[in-house]
This record gives sequence, C-alpha cells and structure tokens, in this order.
Amino acid sequence: MRYVDEYRDPDLARGLVAEIRSLVVPGETVRVMEVCGGHTHAIFRHGLEELLPPEVEFVHGPGCPVCVIPMGRVDDAIAIAETEGVTLATFGDMLRVPGGRGSLLEAQARGADVRMVYSPLDALELARREPERHVCFFAIGFETTAPATAVTLLRARDDAVPNFSVFCNHVLIEPPLRAILDTPGLRVDAFIGPGHVSSVIGSDAYGFIPEEYGRPVVVSAFEPVDLLQSVAMLLHQRAEGRCEVENQYTRVVRAEGNPRALAAIAQTMEPREDFEWRGLGVLPRSALRIRDELAGLDAETLFTLPGERIEDPKACRCGEVLTGQIKPWECGVFGTACTPERPLGTCMVSSEGACAAYFSYGRLRRPREEAPVGG
Amino acid sequence: MTPQPERCLTCGDAAVTARVVEVRDLEALVAVAGETESVALDLVPEARPGDLLLCHAGIALERVAEGTP
Repeated sequence: MRYVDEYRDPDLARGLVAEIRSLVVPGETVRVMEVCGGHTHAIFRHGLEELLPPEVEFVHGPGCPVCVIPMGRVDDAIAIAETEGVTLATFGDMLRVPGGRGSLLEAQARGADVRMVYSPLDALELARREPERHVCFFAIGFETTAPATAVTLLRARDDAVPNFSVFCNHVLIEPPLRAILDTPGLRVDAFIGPGHVSSVIGSDAYGFIPEEYGRPVVVSAFEPVDLLQSVAMLLHQRAEGRCEVENQYTRVVRAEGNPRALAAIAQTMEPREDFEWRGLGVLPRSALRIRDELAGLDAETLFTLPGERIEDPKACRCGEVLTGQIKPWECGVFGTACTPERPLGTCMVSSEGACAAYFSYGRLRRPREEAPVGG
Repeated sequence: MTPQPERCLTCGDAAVTARVVEVRDLEALVAVAGETESVALDLVPEARPGDLLLCHAGIALERVAEGTP
C-alpha cells in the first residue's frame, strides 16, 4: 500500500536492528515506554520485541483512552442511553467496556438505543435526521480525538441543533505521564512519544520529561521502520550523553502542533478540576469538560447522572500494568478470568490495551521472561 | 473514517492517511483503502486535491509531508 510499504521495508528494518545492536551496552537494560496503545499494537503485530537485543525492553504505557475510562463513567453513559427518547452514539470499542452495571452492549440488549458511529459528526448527522430523538455522543479520547468533538460542538452551536449533546470524557496526555514519572521506583529509562496526539499538541509539549525528569523522548510514527528508528534515536541520545525531545514523525508532527485544532479545543472545552483514571487514580486537571458557554450541548448539564465511583475488581492489576511495574502475564487473572471475550480489567478491553496485545500476539511466548532484569 | 479492522477506532493513533480526491468548502472526498469517504477540513482548510491527509474520527488533522524514510 502506498505510503505504508516504505515504512515496512525489510532491508531498512534490518539495517536499523543492526544499528540498535551496535548501540546497546551488553547486560545494560534500557527500558523504553511506548506511551501510546497504537505503538503497543504495532510492536506486537510486527514482532519487534523479538528482533531487538534483550537489552532493549519495551514497557507498555497508559495511552489507550478506552482502557483508562473509569467504570463509573460507563455507568453514567448507560444511564443516558436508558433515558426515554434518547439515543447514545459512541465509538465501537466503548460498547464492550464493562461498567458496574455491565456494558453498553448489554444495555442495548435490554432495549436502550445505543448506536456505533465512526465520528462525532456522524452523531450530529443522526440528530439532524431524527429530530424526534435526543442524540448524545459519548466522547472519549486523547488530544487526537478531542478536535473532532470540538468541531462537532461548534457546528451544533452554529446550526442551533436542538436535540444533540456530548458526554465529554476527553483526557489529556501530560498528567498521566507525570503520574508515571512520579511513581516511586520508576523502571522506565526513555519514552517513545505518541505520534498522532503530537500532531495536535506538538512535540514541544514533552519538554518537561527531559527537563524535569531527565528522560529522553522521541515522538514516533507507527510503522515498524518508524519504531525501530525511534529506538535507535533514543539509544544515540544515551550514547552521546544527550537527553532531549526529538521528532521521528516529521512527516506529520510539528514542534508547535496544529494551532487550529488547539484553538477549537480551547474554544469548546476546558480542563476539569480532576478526573479519575482506571489504574492511575484521580489526577488533577487531566481531562476536559465542555465550557459553560456551551452548557446546552453538555450532557452533564442536561442529564442527571449517577456519578458513582466504582472500584476496579480486586484481582485486576491493570494499574501496575499501566505504570509499567508488571507485564500483563504476571497478573493472576490474565488469560483465565480475564480475556478479550470477557474482559475483567480495562487493559484487556481494547485491542490496543497492553493485555489484549499480549493475549493476541504473545501470550504463549512470554518473550521477556528469560531476559536479564538487571541494568 | 473507517479504521483498519484490527485497530481500535477510539485510539487517536488509529488515524489513517488518505489522498484528497475533491474539495467542497470544508469537506473533502478522500480515497482510502479503495473507498471514498468524506472528511471535515475545518482544521486543514488549505487542503487541495492530491494532498495526503492524516484523518481521524471524520476530520483531517494534518497534511502529511511526503518523502522517503
């Protein structure tokens, strides 16, 4: 496929693997956290862990927005969906996420009008087509997805669509990174920064990681050659005694991001005081709410929501997986009580969650089990 | 924007690149994986036919600079 094959070129990949091998110090493990679930998925799909020397260890980060939504918010969405005359529209991956009262799919089976859309603009279109119903879009995602919601809110406001609202659950990438970096005994030496979040917020947004925490960052694209090049760039920084933000994804990401996207978000949303993240707890100013000027489009204003906080199942160790403290297969319920068909923990829900990726691609190999743990 | 089937749509990093076929005001018809779809150009209003766009959740996020790895 044009513009994908170039970044899956075996000769380029072999050359980069050789370069990486020449850069590692035997016996000295470098733990690289890929923040984004898309990277986690690509690493497994292309078997990159097995191409690399044991000194390079991937730690899978918190960048799957489906995985971090707390169960109480799913229950709130179910409450909206079960309101008479209301249609709840959301992305397909949210449908299976278990809340305290089951999933949206189960609510649909009980008779709630839950529909899958590919874009918040599709949900707005649904509201225009079905004026007798109220259509609420259950919005989730990092800064990559927030611009689509922002554009939708602005169009709904400008066209005065009366039967549309958004249940806003957009989250921000910096607070969970800080939470991970503040974790006592952190076992991460370097970061592969998310590519498409960075197309919106820009690579400069990660300056705090080298400046305040002394860890290098390389913003990366998603194909195997991209990821291998990013690992090589991190190892070059280490070998040369540098610690800075570099951008491997120059074909899309600018240092300052996309100012129009940032302006659309700022025009429609503002940071919440705090927000609960599954596995990470309550983080200050880590999510977005709809601005008061658009209260008529805000589901949290229009509906009475349960708003309950629901503890994760005790057996679930997603929090330790999300902060890189354990590998998915070290959790007692991985692959037994918790599977992609019946997820107990959040990392198993989305195909890009770390546990789902291990389950789908690597559960029988456990590639790092015998790797050295020192370093 | 139809995602690759094995990827999670919600994740922003499941964004896809698509070639602009036609531009009408703030909507573009783009070709991706053999199909034509519509994306909003509110954030990339300068897009022209032939441009490669990074698209996610029904909107274009950025123009892709073409080159070789």
